[in-house]
Amino acid sequence: MTQSAKKLRRPFRFGFVKFSFLIALLLILSSWIFIFWVEEADFLGLFSEKNRDHTKNFLSNMAGIGVENPAFLDAEKWKQALWLTYETLQMSVMAIGFATMAMLLTVVPAARNAADGTLTVTKKWYGWLVYGVIRFLYVLSRAVPELIWAMMIIFIFKPGILPGAIALALHNFGILGKLCAEVIEDLDMRPIRSLASSGAGKVQLLVYGIIPEVMPKFISYILYRWEVIIRTTIVVGFVGAGGLGMEFKLSMSWFHYTDMTLFLICYVMLVWMVDFLSEKLRKAMR
Amino acid sequence: MQHFHKKNILTGLLILVFVWSLFSVQWRADLFHSGGQSTFLHILLGLIQPDLSTDILQLAIVSSWRTLTYAVAGMSLALIVAFVVGILASGILTKGKTQRTAIVGFFRGLLGFMRAIHELVWAWLFVAAVGLSPFAAVFAIAIPYGGILGRIFADMLNDVPAAPINALKACGSSRWQLLMYGYIPHAAADMLSYTMYRFECAIRSSAIMSFVGLGGLGYQIQLSLEDLKYDEVWTFMFFLLGMVIVVDLWSQQLRKRLVA
Repeated sequence: MTQSAKKLRRPFRFGFVKFSFLIALLLILSSWIFIFWVEEADFLGLFSEKNRDHTKNFLSNMAGIGVENPAFLDAEKWKQALWLTYETLQMSVMAIGFATMAMLLTVVPAARNAADGTLTVTKKWYGWLVYGVIRFLYVLSRAVPELIWAMMIIFIFKPGILPGAIALALHNFGILGKLCAEVIEDLDMRPIRSLASSGAGKVQLLVYGIIPEVMPKFISYILYRWEVIIRTTIVVGFVGAGGLGMEFKLSMSWFHYTDMTLFLICYVMLVWMVDFLSEKLRKAMR
Repeated sequence: MQHFHKKNILTGLLILVFVWSLFSVQWRADLFHSGGQSTFLHILLGLIQPDLSTDILQLAIVSSWRTLTYAVAGMSLALIVAFVVGILASGILTKGKTQRTAIVGFFRGLLGFMRAIHELVWAWLFVAAVGLSPFAAVFAIAIPYGGILGRIFADMLNDVPAAPINALKACGSSRWQLLMYGYIPHAAADMLSYTMYRFECAIRSSAIMSFVGLGGLGYQIQLSLEDLKYDEVWTFMFFLLGMVIVVDLWSQQLRKRLVA
């Protein structure tokens, strides 16, 4: 009896989760098949004699073996690299600043509870329209990688820190917007409704109801994106958008291997420093 | 009140740092290329009127598939790495304090190193070492993504509430059983939803592998940009957008069913 009752209660269903799992498996299989058979990528060929020599040469060049005066032992080069690191840091801060400004301007109408009127307790006919437009902007800006934004921006601006910062900001604007709109959607509505029912205006609702609730979460997301941005600065630099990446790319083209090692050292140091700083700031915010 | 005050000071500080960064640019009109404004208009025009001819659409589908396969293959490797190293880095399989600190320290450090370097830099290193092979793209995605996923998995496993684990321990479960019946079922939903988010990122990363010479959507975008055909650029961009949206919707649906 209990057995059959259990069976009745939980019949086997080919549900969404199982279906997704199957699709995922299919995708993985077909991808590997495509790579091995259609692209005819040779896995064992990766370990051929030739490639091993390549790798060895490449690594010993990077390590500056047999090179007179490698860049990472040269004080002048260090000075230049540290200056570039400083510029890269500025670029990342500018990027997150731009992204934050754009996000703050758009985030409230992009929240679902603002569009349907529960947040402000007043409903406007254009609520859903504005919501849709802003959400589309978010998806568009976050679907396009920073590097591709940078490739396009570089057609408009001259090479330097600004185009890099704008490209990074464009991509992160979409991500920050999405994350922060979700924060607003998950707000506890009770304090806001009580403010509204005691006669608070729109501005008062924003200043006393919404901002104190969401600010800590916003800032922790902003700091988290800052960590990601600092890693990506080197990549937007590749297309000429300034900072460490640009010089890295140049020394790559000139086969100045030891310069590249120096820039990589600076880059990793910068990433670790920013990680450390952002973690400390996030703890302080809590 | 004190608490509120401290937060305000920090916010003010962050704004000041942003203002400081603005001084690094000389704000003059010559920031633009001489033809910059008209190029901008051309790019906008392409956004409104993307090139939808059959050739371009076909090319877009083929390169989207290539981008997708690199992303999927890279993610599948990254998942394996993240699972193994993540469990080791969470220290739930270790016994004794010294062993734990040593193992956790080593594997956390390893994960940190893997994710400190951007995937494109990895790709470039691989291409320099083994030449233009799809494996360069796959490994370049697998390493940093394995690092990120592993770190997050380890954190999630550490955040599993202690009570069910203690209950299992009291019943005399081995460490392996603790992992299989305590830790993993608890963290699985979060792990899966984070993996889906990372998969979305992997598609983007795989699209930019073109920069080191590997094929895919990014490669086509780059070619069209060099030909100044902005309408084609936007066609490829919309394909990228479509893939990201599909994965995003998929992960939303999954999360709704798993977390709720």
